[in-house]
Amino acid sequence: MATTITKPETLVGKRIRRKEDPRLITGTATYVDDIQMPGMHHACIVRSPHAAARIKGIHVKAALELPGVTAVFTGADTKDVGPVPCGASLPGLRVPHHHILAVDRVYFVGHPVAVVVATDRYIARDAADRIEVDYEVLPAVADPEKAIAAGAPAVHPEWPDNVAFHFHQEGGEVDKAFAEAEVVVKERITSQRLIPTSIETRGVVADWNTGDKSLTIYSSSQIPHLLRTLLAMMLGLPEHHTRVVVPEVGGGFGSKLNVYAEEALMGFVAMKIGKPVKWIESRRENYLCTIHGRGHVDYFELAARKDGTMVGLKLKLIQDLGAYHQLLTPAIPTLSVLMMPGLYRFKNIRADIAGVFTNCVPTDAYRGAGRPEATHGIERMVDILAAELKMDPAEIRLKNFIQPEEFPFSTGTGLIYDSGNYDLPLKKAMEIVDYKGLRKQQNDSRKQGRLMGVGISSYGEICAFGPSPATPAGGWECATVRVDPQGKVTVGTGASPHGQGEETTFAQIAADELGVDLDDVLVVHGDTAVVPYGIGTFGSRGTAVGGPALYYALQKLKEKITKFGAMLLDSESVSYSGGCCTCSKTGKSVTLGEIAGASYRAMKLPEGEAPGLEATYFWEPPNFTFPFGAHVAVTEIDRETGKVKVARYVAVDDCGRIVNPLLVDGQVHGGVAQGLGQALYEQAVYDDSGQLLSGELTDYAIPKATMMPWIESHHTETPSPVNPLGVKGVGEAGTIGCSPALVNSVVDALSPLGVRHIDMPLTPEKIWNLLQGGQQ
Amino acid sequence: MKISGSYQMACSPEQAYALLQDPEALARCMPGCESLDRIGENEYAMKMKMALAAFSGLFEGKVRIADTKPPQSFRLIVEGSGRVGFMKGEGLLNLSAQNGGTEVAYEGDVHVGGTIAAVGQRLLDSTAKVMIKRFFDKLGEGASARA
Repeated sequence: MATTITKPETLVGKRIRRKEDPRLITGTATYVDDIQMPGMHHACIVRSPHAAARIKGIHVKAALELPGVTAVFTGADTKDVGPVPCGASLPGLRVPHHHILAVDRVYFVGHPVAVVVATDRYIARDAADRIEVDYEVLPAVADPEKAIAAGAPAVHPEWPDNVAFHFHQEGGEVDKAFAEAEVVVKERITSQRLIPTSIETRGVVADWNTGDKSLTIYSSSQIPHLLRTLLAMMLGLPEHHTRVVVPEVGGGFGSKLNVYAEEALMGFVAMKIGKPVKWIESRRENYLCTIHGRGHVDYFELAARKDGTMVGLKLKLIQDLGAYHQLLTPAIPTLSVLMMPGLYRFKNIRADIAGVFTNCVPTDAYRGAGRPEATHGIERMVDILAAELKMDPAEIRLKNFIQPEEFPFSTGTGLIYDSGNYDLPLKKAMEIVDYKGLRKQQNDSRKQGRLMGVGISSYGEICAFGPSPATPAGGWECATVRVDPQGKVTVGTGASPHGQGEETTFAQIAADELGVDLDDVLVVHGDTAVVPYGIGTFGSRGTAVGGPALYYALQKLKEKITKFGAMLLDSESVSYSGGCCTCSKTGKSVTLGEIAGASYRAMKLPEGEAPGLEATYFWEPPNFTFPFGAHVAVTEIDRETGKVKVARYVAVDDCGRIVNPLLVDGQVHGGVAQGLGQALYEQAVYDDSGQLLSGELTDYAIPKATMMPWIESHHTETPSPVNPLGVKGVGEAGTIGCSPALVNSVVDALSPLGVRHIDMPLTPEKIWNLLQGGQQ
Repeated sequence: MKISGSYQMACSPEQAYALLQDPEALARCMPGCESLDRIGENEYAMKMKMALAAFSGLFEGKVRIADTKPPQSFRLIVEGSGRVGFMKGEGLLNLSAQNGGTEVAYEGDVHVGGTIAAVGQRLLDSTAKVMIKRFFDKLGEGASARA
């Protein structure tokens, strides 16, 4: 028995490089498209070029005649497959039946109409061109405000007003607050449609085992277990004969938090042909057919007193839903409503959502999902109010923040903010940028005719989704910890990390709790046959919900380890720490490896204990977590071209306790890049007839490395009381905090010209027109 | 997309009018036109190859001539679809005698859909202009030969 104890240093809180990286940067990771199987077939999907049309006929003979083509299926073949599910429920919600292949009508450009299956990907693609579809083209509508205007074409003929739902939420005494207000500012603020653009597009491999009648679906997804449950339902399969494997995922950002027609379609095809089948989405399909994000037109009214105290907020929100509800489509704008008061104390809130059908691809969760829209709205409105009252935007924020002693704080929208100290990140950011000095510099540069702006965004977010009653599919998470006979540790998590780095952060947590080396812990995930049921990774929940589940599983396991240790040391006074059980009386100890070996050999067992070392824990979070922060952007505008230069970008994020600062910085950087993309460059554009004009990366501008400023990333740490780790989540913080900071900065730069608001993206053309005295 | 422009032809309005409705001349002059067959009164079936941005494709469609007012004006209606999408166009051509020749002024609306809209939209305007210019240039050669 070992008698020396070497306690490893604590790993949580350290900047540790990702365990995932070697396979990712050496090209040895396996993505869906890397999967090869004997006899594998390939599918190509025929899609509608029209936004609205009746299908009069589909001619498949010429495609079937091409050598190598195995089968062609149309909506007539697949109409009994269950509909593409909508997981959100709202009172009175209209849910169109969403067939996996169009049956008699198409509703958006890209709507799948037929699938060709061939022995080779290229044959499938060529055969798809031989399929002729007769369409009777119908009028379409692509703009949500036009869709609810009188006389607009009906997206779904059964609902001629194009409204899928109305949703009303109210808190406090709104009418009284507005009647007594000394100032009310109003603005129409849009959050344009965005395309999530993960580097890896979607992809599916379906493998049907004819013998034991089981289906395995390999898909680039964020939610393997939910996908299994819903696919089994759609295909009429028992769930225990359905397996979902999520291999490496090259980015999701919410776009793979879904159940797509193609996933069920490939299952259907594999079951029909009795061979494995692969479908890999092209970039053009990805832009046309994978969900888009945002798509808001918001009418805000903010009421305040002359001293800058905000007293009430009204919002009329028009959400462009697209033609169908994908998994969470109608729920996304309700998150905007929850988040609309931001970090401010007032409780008089009224929101009315109109969820509107358009002949476009559905919108759904994209990084931030409803919260960037809300934050953009309130943070723009605060600046508009500050300008109206000639107050400093930092001062008006500090005046209205909820104070640390007010937590837990009940909001006018029914949330309970867990913890916060909102002055902290804002004051830290102001100190880092030398706020007073910047304002002086701005005054001087204005005298020289230059256009310099300083923009602040103080954001809050709802993370760690979430308590089960508040989520459509359960909000808990699960973890299994297994110590093998060698004493090495395997962690299985139901959260399905896909770039967030939990193979590292969860290993840090487990290594600390068990006192082992980081390399002695392997984190597995993403295969429903390997890990217990879990909900998945989205809504900044991976570490904030999956982490505590792991923590509690580790506590449970440590109890068992200690019992085995006590038995082996033949002592009652035993404690487990640093990878060993030690008797406090004799100083003798046994290592985890020795305990594990003994537990599997099972010559002797502690009373009431079973052999083996394994523990599973399902953890239900009692509340959401509410991270916050302050971002400050300094911009300068080129008068000649209207181009925005981001001179400085400071992000101070408070995501609770930090497990790995390197990964938190990475999340902030990526998030800021996507927030900056929305603020300055990106926009999904449909023409009036529903044709997507920004259908490729040549026409849809995501920021390149050279378009990014240097991000100065700083943190404050206000632990969450909601979970034992004190973590809050940081996956969406950068995106939520960024766009209002940039737009506030540019509006500030242009304020001498009388500019009060500009809608995103802030393209040079838009700004140049404003500089010429025109409209945006 | 709105298109408009004008072109000078070195022949009389009557000759220009006849030329603009001569399927053989049109087939010869339309860039990428592979065939143009009469299928009815003032109606033709057309096969046309079109290149735009990084892709090219074969369009099959119909050309229809309407509102004929020889030799002053007529309306041209083109509809085609192929694997890269579809196009629909309608234009009014006005012919007037000018400087011993004919000015052909055109004004119309072109609508495209499918991949061609998603990918090629930014190049559509310039591509359409180039194609129309090539068409009239070539037709002009024929007109000069006739004149």
